[in-house]
This record gives sequence, C-alpha cells and structure tokens, in this order.
Amino acid sequence: MKKILITLLAIFSLTAVLNAQIPERPNPPRLVNDFAGVLSKNEFSNLEETLESFARQTSTQIVVVTVADFDGQDKAEYAFDLGEKWGVGQKGKDNGIVVLLKPKTGNSRGEVFVASGYGLEGVLPDAIINRDVVDNEMIPRFKQNDYYGGLAAGLDVIMSITRGEYTAEQYKEKVETGGAAGIPFVFIIFILMFVLFGRRRRGRFYSPGKNLPFWLALGMMSGSHRSSGSFGNFSSGGGGFGGFGGGSFGGGGAGGSW
Amino acid sequence: MKRFGIVLIAVVSAFLFSSCGYNKMVEMDEQVTSQWAQVENVYQRRADLIPNLVNTVKGYAAHEQETLEGVIEARSKATSVNIDANKLTPETLKQFTQAQDGLSSALSRLMVVVERYPDLKANQNFLDLQAQLEGTENRITQERKKFNETTQAYNAYIRKFPQVIYSGWFGFDKKTYFEAQQGAEKAPEVQF
Repeated sequence: MKKILITLLAIFSLTAVLNAQIPERPNPPRLVNDFAGVLSKNEFSNLEETLESFARQTSTQIVVVTVADFDGQDKAEYAFDLGEKWGVGQKGKDNGIVVLLKPKTGNSRGEVFVASGYGLEGVLPDAIINRDVVDNEMIPRFKQNDYYGGLAAGLDVIMSITRGEYTAEQYKEKVETGGAAGIPFVFIIFILMFVLFGRRRRGRFYSPGKNLPFWLALGMMSGSHRSSGSFGNFSSGGGGFGGFGGGSFGGGGAGGSW
Repeated sequence: MKRFGIVLIAVVSAFLFSSCGYNKMVEMDEQVTSQWAQVENVYQRRADLIPNLVNTVKGYAAHEQETLEGVIEARSKATSVNIDANKLTPETLKQFTQAQDGLSSALSRLMVVVERYPDLKANQNFLDLQAQLEGTENRITQERKKFNETTQAYNAYIRKFPQVIYSGWFGFDKKTYFEAQQGAEKAPEVQF
C-alpha cells in the first residue's frame, strides 16, 4: 500500500516538474518579470516604464525575465521557448527580445541570454549582442552584483540599435479568412442524403421556399466563428504597452556566464 | 431536373472539398515544406560561416592542418546533400542528418583544438565568429524543433476522422520527423 502511494507521489511530482518549466505569461502583461527577485521596487518600475514607452514608440517589445534556475534546460532554449510561449513582439514583424537572467547564487554560475526575434536578427546580429551588450555592458556589472545597472546598460544599447527598425503604427490583427471550413463532415452527409432521398418526395414534404432558408442558415453557421485568440487584442488589461503580440523566435541571440 | 441534380452535386462536392479539410491539408502540407526550407536555410548559414572561421583559425594555428581539413571536408559533404521537401523519407532525412552531424562533430573538434591558442581566443574577429556559430547552432535546434512541430500537426490532422478516409486519395501521406542525434541521449564523457 505504502509502495503504491510512494509511486503515485513520485509520478505526480514528476509531472509537476515537467509542467513547471516555463513560467506562465504574466497577466496583466508586464515587460519586466523579476521571478528571482533581484530588483528593488524602484528599479523594477524604472525598467518597466522605460521598456513600455519604448514598446509604445517602436512596437518592439523587450521582455526582461529573471529566474532562479532554468529547470535543467539550456539558457538559450529556455529564452526561445519563453519568447514563443508569451508571444513577445508583434505577429508578422517578430520584433521581440527576451533578456533572460539567472543571478549567481552560491556556487552556481550566473547566466544571461539575450534572444532576438526573427525580425530583429538583421539589426541585432548575434556577434553584436555578444560583444556590445553581454560582454561589454552586462557581465562586468553583474559580476559586481549590480543587476539593475547591467540590465539598464544592456537595454540602452539594445534600444539605441533597434530604435529605427520598426515604428509604431496601429497594428491590426489579421483575421484568418476561414471560408466554409466550419461545417462538419456528418452534416454534409446528412444534407446529401436529405437532397438525394428527399427529392423523390419533394411534392409532399419540401418546397424550395422552405429549403432555401435551411441552406442559408447553414452558411451562416459555418462562416461565423473564426477568430484568433491572440493576446495582443486587449489593451485595457493594464499593461501600458498593449499586451504581447505573438512574435516568433528563430534562435537568434547570444549570452554568457560569469 | 437531371441537370439540377448535377449542379447540386457539384455544389455539394465543392463544399466537401473546402469544408472537410482538403484546403487545410494543402495549407499544412505547404507549411511543412516551407519549414523544411527554413531548416535547410539555417544549415546553409552554418556552412557559409565555415570558410571564414577556418581562415581565422589558420592564421593562429596553422599546424592544426588535420583538424582544419576535416572541417572543410565535412562541410563539402554536408552541403552536397540537399533534399527536396517532397522527397523527405526516413532514409533521405537520415542521410541529411548524418552529413550534418559529421560537420557538427568536426566543428566541435576544431573548437577543442582552439582552446590551446590563447592569442586566437583573444582575437575579436574569432570571438564574433564564435558567437555567430553558436547562434547558428541555436537556430538549427530551433528550426528543427519547429519542423517537427509542423510535421506533427500535419500528421495528426491527416489521420484524424474524417480526413483519414480521403487524405490518401489525394496523396497526403504521413511525413517524417527529425530524430534525436544518435548517441545524444548519452551524456558526453569528460576526460582529464
């Protein structure tokens, strides 16, 4: 009995670990997410404000995430997965950046990774991130436990480089043109039968006048419910930048450790 | 009356095509194709970086001729294997990954050798190249993962009811995935 209990417990804790990998998207959306708790309240709101106004001006979204550990994942992969899961950057432009920081604790190394979305790989090549952002600005300050200073200095460089790349225009969500894709197969079969067998007895049961509304109703049913449940649609949620837009990451970026 | 019936059937079958996933299957098939192009792209990007890298290393470590030649050779082998997205079978994909893995291991041998040259490691040009190479490896991982995801979505879709009945009629077959690198499940051994 006890054995079963222990096995069950082990299974549960295992699934819990598997699910705990990437943190959920913050709600209301925030650009600075200090899960590791390295920023003071003032520092947090300074960064958040800077990044939000940058996002409003340029539509480029820079997310700062600090975590206590990567749950055994590689830092780069963790950053890309997080960027994809939260949808950092605008859909189609893919102009999102994830700055991922794991502070140095005890004898585990501090690590940082800056991931750039597809759309920013051109202006912000890996070598530039590696040299100008990570090696020159961030790591020297992180080494002295100045996490805020390192982040702020690194972000300054990123923002000055990417500022011209995208401008904030009203971003319209493209609604998928779904057509008649909503009618289930069974329905079609039903209608086929209806038409084929029903015709014989047309005189008794059906008249075109009655059939027409039925078809119309079907057409209406099929075309209606198609909307993409994107996060970027609501701007009233409290995030001063309009929410994440569904950007995508292709593996650009660089990082380092100290 | 008969003509009316034919028209009706034509209309209904048009509905059938658009509504029962035919269009969706075409779309998903196309997604897999374009994702495969992405995968080849990032591998090409890596291949393009190599001549530059080899030249930089040569300047500092000229007598590591063997390792450098190994990289060049593996590169030419890897770039010679190109697969059309429509001809992706487990065999051709295996051939492709084998060639690319050969290049990966040649490169990692080179990176080990480089550790012995502090001057080279301080060279800014080399550091930039190294960052680019790492970034490219990241991109490869990422695009392969996306390829597997799109393929998985496609495979699941064509085998779901009702598509499973007729997906075969139109030639929508199950597509193949990337598998984990052989031996990747074993942690590398570190020797001093």
